[in-house]
Amino acid sequence: MRYYARKLGFYLVALWAALTLNFFIPRMMPGNPVDTLLAKLQQRGGSVGPDVRESYELMLGTDTGDALWNQYFSYLGNMFRGDLGVSVSVFPEEVTTVISQSLPWTIVLVGIATFLSFLVGVVLGMVVGWKRGTWLDSLIPATTVLSAVPYFWLALIFVMIFSTSLAWFPLNGGYDVALATGWNWEFINSAIYHGFLPALTIVVSSVGGWLLGMRNMMVSTMSEDYILTAQAKGLRNRRIMTRYAARNAVLPSVAGFAISLGFVVSGSIITEQVFSYPGIGGKLLQAVENSDYALMQGIFLIITVAVLAANLVVDLLYGFIDPRTRVEN
Amino acid sequence: MSLHARWRRVRTAAIGAVTIGLLAVGCGGSSNGGSSTDSDTLIVYTGLAGDWPRVFNPYLPTVSEGPGTIFEPLFFYNIARQDDPAPRLGTEYAWNEDGTELSITLREGVEWSDGEPFTADDVAFTLNMLLEHEALNTQNFQGEPTVVDDTHLTVSFDEPAYMKAPDLLGKTWIVPEHIWSQIEDPATDQIQEPIGTGPFALTDFNPQAFTLSANETYWDGAPALPEVRYVALSGNQAGADALAAGEIDWQTGPVPDMENFEQNHPGYKSITVNAFQMVLDTCSNPDLGCTGPQTDPAVRQAIYYAMDREQLNALAFQNTAAEMSPGFALPERDAGYLSADLENQTVPMNADVQQAQEILEGAGWTMGGDGIYEKDGEKLSLTVRVVTGWTDYITAVNTMSEQLKEAGIELTPQPASNNETMDARGRGDFQLQIDSLYPGPTPDPYYVYNNFFNSDNTVPVGESANPNFSRYSNPAVDEAISELNQIDPVDTEARQQHYDTIQAEIERDMPYIPILLGGTTSQFNSEKFTGWPTDVNLHAYPAVWQRPDQAQIYRSLEPAGE
Repeated sequence: MRYYARKLGFYLVALWAALTLNFFIPRMMPGNPVDTLLAKLQQRGGSVGPDVRESYELMLGTDTGDALWNQYFSYLGNMFRGDLGVSVSVFPEEVTTVISQSLPWTIVLVGIATFLSFLVGVVLGMVVGWKRGTWLDSLIPATTVLSAVPYFWLALIFVMIFSTSLAWFPLNGGYDVALATGWNWEFINSAIYHGFLPALTIVVSSVGGWLLGMRNMMVSTMSEDYILTAQAKGLRNRRIMTRYAARNAVLPSVAGFAISLGFVVSGSIITEQVFSYPGIGGKLLQAVENSDYALMQGIFLIITVAVLAANLVVDLLYGFIDPRTRVEN
Repeated sequence: MSLHARWRRVRTAAIGAVTIGLLAVGCGGSSNGGSSTDSDTLIVYTGLAGDWPRVFNPYLPTVSEGPGTIFEPLFFYNIARQDDPAPRLGTEYAWNEDGTELSITLREGVEWSDGEPFTADDVAFTLNMLLEHEALNTQNFQGEPTVVDDTHLTVSFDEPAYMKAPDLLGKTWIVPEHIWSQIEDPATDQIQEPIGTGPFALTDFNPQAFTLSANETYWDGAPALPEVRYVALSGNQAGADALAAGEIDWQTGPVPDMENFEQNHPGYKSITVNAFQMVLDTCSNPDLGCTGPQTDPAVRQAIYYAMDREQLNALAFQNTAAEMSPGFALPERDAGYLSADLENQTVPMNADVQQAQEILEGAGWTMGGDGIYEKDGEKLSLTVRVVTGWTDYITAVNTMSEQLKEAGIELTPQPASNNETMDARGRGDFQLQIDSLYPGPTPDPYYVYNNFFNSDNTVPVGESANPNFSRYSNPAVDEAISELNQIDPVDTEARQQHYDTIQAEIERDMPYIPILLGGTTSQFNSEKFTGWPTDVNLHAYPAVWQRPDQAQIYRSLEPAGE
């Protein structure tokens, strides 16, 4: 029990540290929301007279004159009450509204893509590892090259081939904007259709990592004595591969998977940018570009909590699966 | 059976399954996707990156849409050419003798889109709302509205307010009293369901797109254009791609290979207008804390002459920029305001290295051993701020630094993020910064002079200036501007002497070094719709983000039919 209590305590401290960094780091960035907003209006035809600056400072409430420490404590208080404040870049929308609008898109798109990538990578890695030395080994350099290619470039190539030239998939967006948003088949179908290409690029670019890790674990597991024993017993090869070798080899990958699930909510900024996808990554970029501190803090909070939660689950799960990690010295 | 053979079968089956799956998704999709282009819906992209917030409050800077389309001003001021204000909700206006009282006549028989009648009370309510909520009063309105009857009202001021009229009459969006008087704080209300008098009304909203539909009860009759859809994309690149794919009908922004645009995009046309004056802001005023060689007017003059603007236009701006005037009146639109006393009516388009060097040497600079001028041990070396990712500006400053080297001036580009650069501009933390001076609410150079050259609008280095970033302060210019405030704009003769003064002063001092008139290029689908502005008929400023000009253009469009 003390093991779990200690873990939980550690995570609370980590959460506090992360919240503190979330508060201070955006404020160390150069720039301020009012000047950024004015510059944007000036470039886009707003006739910005000399009195505009003062009005917008008042409106956005950016110049409170409070000391940084007071701001910090009221920020901590607001965080625990779940009050994330008002976004400056889409003033006067609440940060919670902005996040709740975009988070589901990211979780579904990146979540499914991460899961598929893991599944395909692990299954392929198992087979490739089992059949090491055959032509299947060539899969490793092939997929590693795809992961090594800069992601934005890969995504743009896919867009050029599949959207612009072949017109199999739409160029941008998360759904057909002419349809009514909601849980009807037509809309869901269009969301799947729009999400397919972004998901494909994520899977293609990340499958190599899972494959390589799984394959190498397979190879080392296969030299274990219990594999030899199983073979000596005359078990079918397929059974040995799945139940004996793969089951042990997959452990590190599962841990990695749980952690990468935590990163799902941070989205994939580049994917969302290339495909104009309505997810949280695009919102984070928007927040940074507009010095929108409240929105940045809100998104960082969600990311932090998700990553910490994923880590906690892995920790607890590991203590459960592998008793050696619980041993106290 | 050998294991090998069995695995091969599994493998084949797996590949087959994946292939079928891919095909199924691919085919299933293409039959019902991409169908969002209706034949008479105008699809526009405003250049905004990211999803639409549901903000239709025309007084908020984050408004998605509304000024001009849903909410109307009293008059429409065309900044693209010298037009008289066109009536919208107002039909006539007149000043009293000394410019302290404005009488406005309103249109009769106008209805809000919910059926309530529009009256002078709504106008008075709107103006009083500005007085009450400082956060909304971006034009600094200080008058006092008095309703005479349902279609007449007067607004009185303490001092002559001629120059306030364009903001008051042309940029004040009239809102319905019967709805807005119930709103607790109009400065923080999104106005999710906007009710206005305008030619269009919001009919459908989701964060990736919203639709405006023609207002059937509009006072001028429902517009011929039935629907406008605003789509959300991730930025300029996505906009250019969507344009190439024919998915949008109107956008304003640069596209690659502008020269062959019409061949590359059949059915589309492009139009370029020039109203933004590209300059190098200089932190010019040592009295307000500026330091560096650019505080010497001779250095600014030398940079002005050493630029090869023809080359800049070709390399950085795809030849969309145009000649500007060192008097900061637009050479074509404001031809009537250009002073005869200007040394150069328009900027020199080619480099004049000899002239630049004479000016420098006349001011005591001497050529150093490395080919760069110096004075009192200080090298003539300047930094110029530019935003990372703004490729046209970056190309421009890089080209400029090559050009200026010929004349013995060293220019070092200093790229930084947009936020940092704009923050530095406000605080005066720059030597030079490439920038563009925006036009005012009416075709009159007064607004550029007042915004950027009036010492009232600047502060010492370290505080945020807006918008006199160069910290220019010249009593003669200030005086001329305040004289202009007292004169009715129709009295052009009385005004011209002040314009002459201002232009001569700023050509000599050059706190902003003129580069070129920036081009605003829009691309539109001329096959699907007719009635677009042309070079000879600029009935509104043709940029999709320019409000309320966009509404003026929507009103003139007609679907061409299939």
